[in-house]
Amino acid sequence: MGFFAADGPLPEANPGQFFMLGVKNCGDDPLLKRPFCYFRKRGNTLEILYRIVGKMTSIMKGLRPGDEVEILGPLGNVYPVEEVFFECKKTEKTEKTKKTKNPLVIAGGTGIASVYPLLEGLPGRAFLFYGGRSKKDVLLSRELRAVSKKFIPATDDGSLGFKGTSVDAARDFLNGRAPDDFVLYACGPNGMLKAASALGVQGYIASEEKMACGIGVCLGCAVRTKDGYKRACKDGPVFKTGELLFD
Amino acid sequence: MVDRGNKNKKLEVRIGGLKLKNPVMTASGTAGYGAELAEFFDLSKLGAIVLKGISLVPWQGNPAPRITETRCGMINSIGLQNVGLDAFLREKLPFARQWDVPVIANILGTSATEYTRLASALEDAGVEGIELNVSCPNVKEGGIAFGLNLKSFAGLIRAVRKKVKNPVLIVKLSPGAPSIEEFSRAAEAEGADAISLINSIPAMAIDVNTRRPLIKNVIGGLSGPAIKPIAVRMVYQASKSVKTIPIIGMGGIITGEDAVEFMLAGATAVAVGTATFMDPMAALKVVEGIGSWMERQGIKSASHITGAMLSDIRRK
Ligand SMILES: Cc1cc2nc3c(=O)[nH]c(=O)nc-3n(C[C@H](O)[C@H](O)[C@H](O)COP(=O)(O)OP(=O)(O)OC[C@H]3O[C@@H](n4cnc5c(N)ncnc54)[C@H](O)[C@@H]3O)c2cc1C
Ligand SMILES: Cc1cc2nc3c(=O)[nH]c(=O)nc-3n(C[C@H](O)[C@H](O)[C@H](O)COP(=O)(O)O)c2cc1C
Ligand code: FES
Repeated sequence: MGFFAADGPLPEANPGQFFMLGVKNCGDDPLLKRPFCYFRKRGNTLEILYRIVGKMTSIMKGLRPGDEVEILGPLGNVYPVEEVFFECKKTEKTEKTKKTKNPLVIAGGTGIASVYPLLEGLPGRAFLFYGGRSKKDVLLSRELRAVSKKFIPATDDGSLGFKGTSVDAARDFLNGRAPDDFVLYACGPNGMLKAASALGVQGYIASEEKMACGIGVCLGCAVRTKDGYKRACKDGPVFKTGELLFD
Repeated sequence: MVDRGNKNKKLEVRIGGLKLKNPVMTASGTAGYGAELAEFFDLSKLGAIVLKGISLVPWQGNPAPRITETRCGMINSIGLQNVGLDAFLREKLPFARQWDVPVIANILGTSATEYTRLASALEDAGVEGIELNVSCPNVKEGGIAFGLNLKSFAGLIRAVRKKVKNPVLIVKLSPGAPSIEEFSRAAEAEGADAISLINSIPAMAIDVNTRRPLIKNVIGGLSGPAIKPIAVRMVYQASKSVKTIPIIGMGGIITGEDAVEFMLAGATAVAVGTATFMDPMAALKVVEGIGSWMERQGIKSASHITGAMLSDIRRK
């Protein structure tokens, strides 16, 4: 993984949104821009957290200060946070009752980049479950501890925190607690999202389906929902739990 | 005839009875129904907008992953996901028509009857053009069958032509047609006002590490710069085969010079597809690029570029 920072006139982005990023002077290969989450902004610098997996990310690793990139965005929708502040419940007899919920945040892999600005925006509020294969895959431990109420790392090999996946850790944590007291925010690979949405906690899930255009015109990023296919880039990337269907 | 006010007449071209401000359109399926691109630029700066293909009833489309990038191109298998005719007429078309630009609908059916019903409804709705997609590589049951068999191809165009009078009728040829020449001649003979080509080319790619296909459907359609030389050749063949109808060329156009290459090969207009995925402003940049090429070459009218390739090779 690496950090990537860009200077320049930068638009305001919100948690959950993403940018399409391209490099200049590479001709037609790679052809398309690639989607990366809005990670954070420091002063005039936009930061992206990325894992090197292929063509574009390898080129990004080789960029030097002063090299030019093209950034399109911010794109997509935002993690709603209303429930964290209050919930309006209206039944036939009762008046509105306000109830705040605790953010339950689950991230896998680079999904941590997606939820990071959310955590920053809800300082000291979130229960965060995030992990990887092993201790060295768990990034930003210090920052994450600082911005969350409780950060429970999870590793497959048990070298750090909970032994198992981050969803396993969250399930363990929820044992004996009322799911209704929490609102879920999850981002990561599809398998993880499927497991997270089966936890019984209502909330939001961000998809990272492959994209071509990022602006809603190609229909390449289709995700299956209960209302048919939707576009991860334009109708998402954030969806309500129960909306997305998994194979 | 629709005459739309245009200060810079140099770029004007004609497709049948339709006067376009400039030779550049969106390629069907790469610009949605117009709304998303309109967030980026004024669509009335284009020659025309060609909308995502529609069918009589809504189609779900194919499961994910639907796209993968290959060297200098991409493979897609969207599977003609679309909202269907009713929702198109009710929601999408009125929105697309708000700009001062001709709207061309792209249609696909599984039978000649479906095509004619779609075409009639669209004529009634007042679209300026109808593009018959007989070349989608991504749906087994429709379209492509007409694109590969000369007899059913001719029969389809005849049937649709009988039904529609006003909209410009464009036939989008399959790059897999056994003979571009024969199909082009047949399209003209049956009353098509224009031919467009090429659609994406059937292709596939495998992830060698996982030994799995990179798109769920295994086979999809290749588009982008990788297919451009093939597309230029097919446009050349089509334009040599028809008597008078214009050719709309597409396949890997990114810059104004790419567009000019298609026009030199015989295209009257061009469409920009995959490039819009790289940059939402791509089609607009192609318009500007054609303009500056004309300036450099001292060419007064875009229509003079069509077929203006010089065939004697001059060596330095
Ligand atoms: C909305 C969104 C936000 C994202 N945010 C981040 C982020 O913040 N940080 C980050 O590191 N990555 C993120 N990704 C994933 C990132 O876009 C891909 O890793 C990147 O496109 C790979 O480009 P490449 O050219 O290096 O790899 P390629 O050469 O294109 O592909 C290499 C391998 O990665 C796989 N791959 C490509 N795209 C994806 C994808 N979207 N999901 C899963 N596998 C993929 C390919 O199938 C292939 O096996 C995000 C994706 C989406 C859709
Ligand atoms: C994602 C995608 C969707 C497409 N959908 C359609 C469609 O609905 N109807 C159609 O006639 N062509 C469709 N096409 C083909 C394009 O209109 C165009 O013919 C082809 O992509 C070649 O041009 P390009 O290389 O500029 O993309 C689609 C192409 C792509 C990449
Ligand atoms: S990436 Fe093109 S529609 Fe979502």
